Amino acid sequence: MTNNKHMISVQSLVKSYGEFRAIDAISFDVQSGETVGLLGPNGAGKTSTMRVLAGLSPWQQGQVNVAGLDAATQGRRIRQIMGVVTQHDGLDVELNVRQNLELFGYLAGVSRAQARTRAAQVLEFFSLTGRAETEVDDLSGGMKRRLAIARALMIDPQVIVLDEPTTGLDPHSRSQVWEKLAQLKSEGVTVLMSTHYMDEASILCDRIAIMDRGRILALAPPHELVDRYAGGEVIELRLDGIDRQAVRDALLAADMGWRELGALFRVLDPEPEMGVLESLPGIRIERRPANLEDVFLRLTGKELDDD
Amino acid sequence: MTEPWIRWRSLFGVWRRHAVCLLRTWKVALTWFLIEPAFVLIAMGAGVGRLIDELPGHGSYAEFVTPGLIVGMAMFHALFECAWGCFNRIQQSTLETMLTSPANITELAAGEVLWGGTRAVISTLAVGSFALVLGWLPLNALPGVVLVSAIVGLQFGAIGLCFAAASPTLSTLTLVFTVLATPLFFFSGSFFPIEVLPSGLQPLAWLAPLTPGVHLARGFANGAMDLSHALCAGYLTVLTIGFFPVAVRLLRRRLVK
Repeated sequence: MTNNKHMISVQSLVKSYGEFRAIDAISFDVQSGETVGLLGPNGAGKTSTMRVLAGLSPWQQGQVNVAGLDAATQGRRIRQIMGVVTQHDGLDVELNVRQNLELFGYLAGVSRAQARTRAAQVLEFFSLTGRAETEVDDLSGGMKRRLAIARALMIDPQVIVLDEPTTGLDPHSRSQVWEKLAQLKSEGVTVLMSTHYMDEASILCDRIAIMDRGRILALAPPHELVDRYAGGEVIELRLDGIDRQAVRDALLAADMGWRELGALFRVLDPEPEMGVLESLPGIRIERRPANLEDVFLRLTGKELDDD
Repeated sequence: MTEPWIRWRSLFGVWRRHAVCLLRTWKVALTWFLIEPAFVLIAMGAGVGRLIDELPGHGSYAEFVTPGLIVGMAMFHALFECAWGCFNRIQQSTLETMLTSPANITELAAGEVLWGGTRAVISTLAVGSFALVLGWLPLNALPGVVLVSAIVGLQFGAIGLCFAAASPTLSTLTLVFTVLATPLFFFSGSFFPIEVLPSGLQPLAWLAPLTPGVHLARGFANGAMDLSHALCAGYLTVLTIGFFPVAVRLLRRRLVK
């Protein structure tokens, strides 16, 4: 009955809030064992997509399936095999760490004895064993996020969806979360995550969907996205005593697209002819490998962290 | 392939979470369930009661006021849990987290209301036992009074949940206590018979949602029932069943966007 190759399948999904189309006919799928990231700025429709999958949001059109189950009618069965980590950790502050895990496990259908064993395992996995009896409010931000992910693992899920798993965390906590997510992936868990961090997407994801304004603009492995949309290199102009307007004039004359980023001018053409600019005094031309940020800029004409 | 209409584990899961929370704070909880109500009971029964002659058909004032107070306390416990407690759990995304489990909104609401009823029963067992010792409540009345409290707990659990789900802020939530609970506590026949109110106000007092519970509990305490008690039982049932779907609807509107 199920095509298990496709753990998640989303077809022509549309979700509106009144007149506003938060998700505008997107389609994608996630293969079993794969990690797919939805990368985009705030308001791109990432969280709405995650909420639809988690059964927390109704939608207007389209077909959503998880492990062959129809999300419109079988949400309960989906949530028995799918762990969900929402953007706010949603931890229960009236319970301690261990109780957060055990009582969620019980609610999700795990027996009391199993919940106890499983809680000990996930605490170990997330290096929280020593914190089992700690009050949630006494945990650091990174620990809270790890606990929220641990809670999603209480049902031993086949697939987990994570909404911005490291937003608001310090660099050290972020890399701890990444390490655990990579470990889960190596254990065969299918992961769908949203993020607005380019580094996070390129480190963790097998494939990335670039999202903007409710649409998926491109979906491919990170290196393919870079090759296809940003070319091998990006050229940036660093100003060294030259008037900004003079650079603009020169770029206009050379018929090039550009974007001003603080002190930098980034050339948007994939393979620009730099002859004219090289002869300008007071300008330094820098070349660096293209990355996902450049892909996003090319596809949308704006930065990832623009709101 | 159709899903079960109700998943009992969801209800018990919510209920168990609340039970664990209560046990964690049992020392503080003791003051809510026993110490504070004991003060009120003694002040009314042994204090105010001394100034008041026997009420015809009710015995001493203490015997009159005890069932009313017990049911009033049951109401406060259910409201505290399902209005104040649920509001906080909505704000802290605790309920949203529960929805990422196989539980659905109706089951979460039912679990919350069930716990409201449980707290009402715990309160009634505590205060009722105390009143028993003082001789203000006959032992054979206790089961009936507990039953009434349980239903009043479910009723005000559902009403409280409506307020929790509909209140945009904590300050609007306090209306449940200032506009609803306190007037009900004093004007539902707990402290004085409704018959002493001006005749224009009496029908209003009879329609107040706490009145049927108080009247029924007093019926059990007095060991005498008549048609008015049957009517009250019907009205209480209608209120209890009627508010639940409203609470579910409001909660869905709040949580599912």
